[in-house]
Amino acid sequence: MKSALLRQIILLAAAALVPAIGEMIYFRDRVSWHSAIPASELVTVEQARAWGDGAMWVDARPDEDFARDHVPGAILLNEDRWNELLPQFLTAWSPEKKVIVYCSAQSCNAAREVAKRLRDEAQLKNVFVLEGGWEEWLKKK
Amino acid sequence: MKNRILVFTLSIWLPLVARAELKWEQSQVELHPGAADKEAVGHFKYQNAGDKPIHFRSVHSSCGCTTAQTQKDQVLPGDKGEITATFKIGDRTGTQVKTVTVETDDPAHPSTVLTLKAVLPELLQIQPALITWNTGETPQPKTIVVRPSKDFPVKELKVSSPSPEFTTKVARDSGSGEFKIDVTPKNTTHPSATALTIQPEGSPKIFYATARVMPAPPSPATTPATH
Repeated sequence: MKSALLRQIILLAAAALVPAIGEMIYFRDRVSWHSAIPASELVTVEQARAWGDGAMWVDARPDEDFARDHVPGAILLNEDRWNELLPQFLTAWSPEKKVIVYCSAQSCNAAREVAKRLRDEAQLKNVFVLEGGWEEWLKKK
Repeated sequence: MKNRILVFTLSIWLPLVARAELKWEQSQVELHPGAADKEAVGHFKYQNAGDKPIHFRSVHSSCGCTTAQTQKDQVLPGDKGEITATFKIGDRTGTQVKTVTVETDDPAHPSTVLTLKAVLPELLQIQPALITWNTGETPQPKTIVVRPSKDFPVKELKVSSPSPEFTTKVARDSGSGEFKIDVTPKNTTHPSATALTIQPEGSPKIFYATARVMPAPPSPATTPATH
């Protein structure tokens, strides 16, 4: 009798665990309406490095983070001061170069937003977002 | 039979006991800040509806532009409080969705995602923000279109170029309310650039567009002749 009771308790616990695990996996690290960046707009640190001088780095993080450290040669362009910083970037921009935008950590949307505005507002092509952001670049420095 | 009834009762009762004790008045807040606002602040109110104290382990936001603060680290049973999320608007436009993840020692709901949605007004749309000429190209005017938002009609636009290398001419289409800025470089014999300032009449906010005569593209590398 005791074993039957135990079996039923285990069965009930297992039944409750299945949707809980599903929810945990589905909602892990993100909320569902965040659309992913298309693969064609992403670039890895290795690919970006291979472009060498053919790439321009854009730092989409806040001013303080940029002041602390940044990819050598990167230009600061964030949405906090977009109107003021955009002309500075566009004056340095060169159509032959690929633009790589990065921000902090994968969950951050700043790089995606800056890349989108460069495409929409300045009508630039060849604008990419760095996969893994600043942290990934640091790791593979 | 008695055991089956006991198991059934337990299966109903246990989850009720283990339910989340921190109850949120709302987990989503929508804000409509004004054109002059620099921040949008969302208040997420909660109450500890359980019988044990709850402690906040961490509160972090999805973006560097949003900060979140708790009033206290511990919430006693029956206590109320709120988490304040402050979104820095900066020069962002459109609808912005930022999240704040709250982690507690509540075993039923250790993590809660709060959503702050800010619908930001867009004063002007400038298309494109960059116009270019190639070196040696005929220095003909190129046009930038400025579309004021319906909520913020603009009667006049002040446009100027800090560089004397470019001239501008502004025309307003009274029907659509759009402005057309014709930009002309004095010449295209050498590279030059300017950041045009665009200021709606009566607004302290300045917008920019860039005009450039581009340097000649690098010539393809020539390989030395071999004999």
